[in-house]
Amino acid sequence: MRHILTAIVLLGLIAIIVFGIELTGTRLMVRIATNLCIMLVLVLGLQVFMGNSGILSFAHIGFMGVGAYVSAMLTIPLQMRSMALPDLYPIVAHIEISPYLGILLGGGIAAAVAAALSYPLMRLSDAAAVITSFAFLVVLHTIMLHWSAVTNGPRTLFGLPNITTLPLAAGFAAIAVITALIFKESRIGVLLRASRDDEIAAGAMGANIPYLRWLAFILSALLAGIGGALWGHYVTSFSPKAFYLKETFVVLGMLVIGGPNTVTGAVAGTILVTLAFEGLRATEGFLNSIQLFSKPVIGLTEIILAMAMIVMLSLRPGGFIATREIGDTVMRWFKFRDKTQ
Amino acid sequence: MESAGTLDVPALFLFRCRLKNVTKAISPEALQAHDVSVVFSGLRALDHVSLYVNPGEILGLIGPNGSGKTTLINALTGQVHLAGGRVVAGTEDLTGCPPRVIARSGIARSFQIVRLFNAMTVAENVETAALAQGENRRQAKERAQGLLAEYSLSGQAGEIAGNLNYGDKRRVEIARALAARPRYLLLDEPAAGMNESESGDLLKLLAALPQKHDLGLLIIDHDMSLIMRLCHRVHVLSSGRTIASGEVEAVRNDPAVIEAYLGSSPEELS
Repeated sequence: MRHILTAIVLLGLIAIIVFGIELTGTRLMVRIATNLCIMLVLVLGLQVFMGNSGILSFAHIGFMGVGAYVSAMLTIPLQMRSMALPDLYPIVAHIEISPYLGILLGGGIAAAVAAALSYPLMRLSDAAAVITSFAFLVVLHTIMLHWSAVTNGPRTLFGLPNITTLPLAAGFAAIAVITALIFKESRIGVLLRASRDDEIAAGAMGANIPYLRWLAFILSALLAGIGGALWGHYVTSFSPKAFYLKETFVVLGMLVIGGPNTVTGAVAGTILVTLAFEGLRATEGFLNSIQLFSKPVIGLTEIILAMAMIVMLSLRPGGFIATREIGDTVMRWFKFRDKTQ
Repeated sequence: MESAGTLDVPALFLFRCRLKNVTKAISPEALQAHDVSVVFSGLRALDHVSLYVNPGEILGLIGPNGSGKTTLINALTGQVHLAGGRVVAGTEDLTGCPPRVIARSGIARSFQIVRLFNAMTVAENVETAALAQGENRRQAKERAQGLLAEYSLSGQAGEIAGNLNYGDKRRVEIARALAARPRYLLLDEPAAGMNESESGDLLKLLAALPQKHDLGLLIIDHDMSLIMRLCHRVHVLSSGRTIASGEVEAVRNDPAVIEAYLGSSPEELS
């Protein structure tokens, strides 16, 4: 019951944003909302692994890149393909699939890569797990930089069909919310959260912790891949540097500020940080246009996000919404009110 | 599924008879440590210790600080590497198995320092143990509700476990261990940090456990009066070695035990 309420509240929030902007919004507003929905898919993907296992993963954005490049390789129209990817392997060079299928396949391949490579890492905990996940990101990034046949190397890859509209992105965001909630409350999710809170006690109870983490990591990579492909079909051209530290930092910032342990926190963090970003970007533009300072103001967004993370981690380490989902909080509030009356 | 809680009268009668007969001999289903040794960087924490717990029996494991009691529980549950010896439950040889395999063969434990899942609710904490045994969420939920009612924790089911008081945390830990439907339950100082009335309540609760949940109980505690009143047999360790083992009365008057608790007179042990 309380889980259904959580889903209703979160999906309602997304629906209000999307319909409100579809009906009244300017092109700028539509752009911001579409970006928000894509970020929701990515942040919820990270929440699936990080929130339930308690292990910070830097590799997430790498899987976003895998999804984007897989979909690009298969969906760039054939007449542009030989220009965009001249060295593409003959097996796939003449296949053009629907971009919608490409998005799903992007997620699928990202999940398959995660499944094949990540199991040994899942045996690690704490700092060792974090550092190896960072190494994983570096490896994926290096491959994207140098596998010219598939990624066009460090150069920009262009020509993806532009199919990501606000309703499509919002649809995937809704699916991501539901997936994250179901996973969190599933048998695997509960056991994984137990291992997050106390690894020794969970192991002593019979939980196969590396296996549970592995499953979560695969699901997390699936969402990251879908998010990456969605993003690819939105911007239509990108290079490997789009899937590296800056993006990692933004997604991580959204999740940490919102509260990694709850789906509500992930959604709230994404919305808050997106709003803050757009506000700061506008402020930056305004400051530069009135030439308050002799030199242009740049990097305001990054500095404020970094400071927000520091403040949040020192004052509320669990993030904005640390333990209870919104549905749970609402139900408890009603029960409390009934008791006191 | 519901085999544990629903013994019919003849079965219960047989069970009682069996209990009387087996307290002196090793049952074929017993949980046993054979000649177990554990070495920590050259230090022998356990030196050829053998012990058994029969089904339906309460065994007290006592000894001075640092005598290896917790290490023995860790050895039985696979948390430390054995330098020698074997761990056997019934016909199953569990030597060298990882903790999760031992847990799934029906051996549950509690920890000396309470180890709850602090960011999860009390109900989720208890459910976890049933889930880890392969039950689905619905079964685990029912199991948890029953146990929480049994331990008068139903009111706190929705609370975050980390916010409970100490006595409640201890009870949640026991309820959680029972949710796994263990054949053997190993409790590491369940009464630590409890006041007189709390440990009195705990004593009643523990005494009823073997019959109610059809299990063998091994219990470590420093509260001698609790151990002496509760246990069918007592096993005494000192510096990693067994110094006495047997019926409560016999062990209490054993000179080696009295010496190990130097400064304790026999009266203090009663």
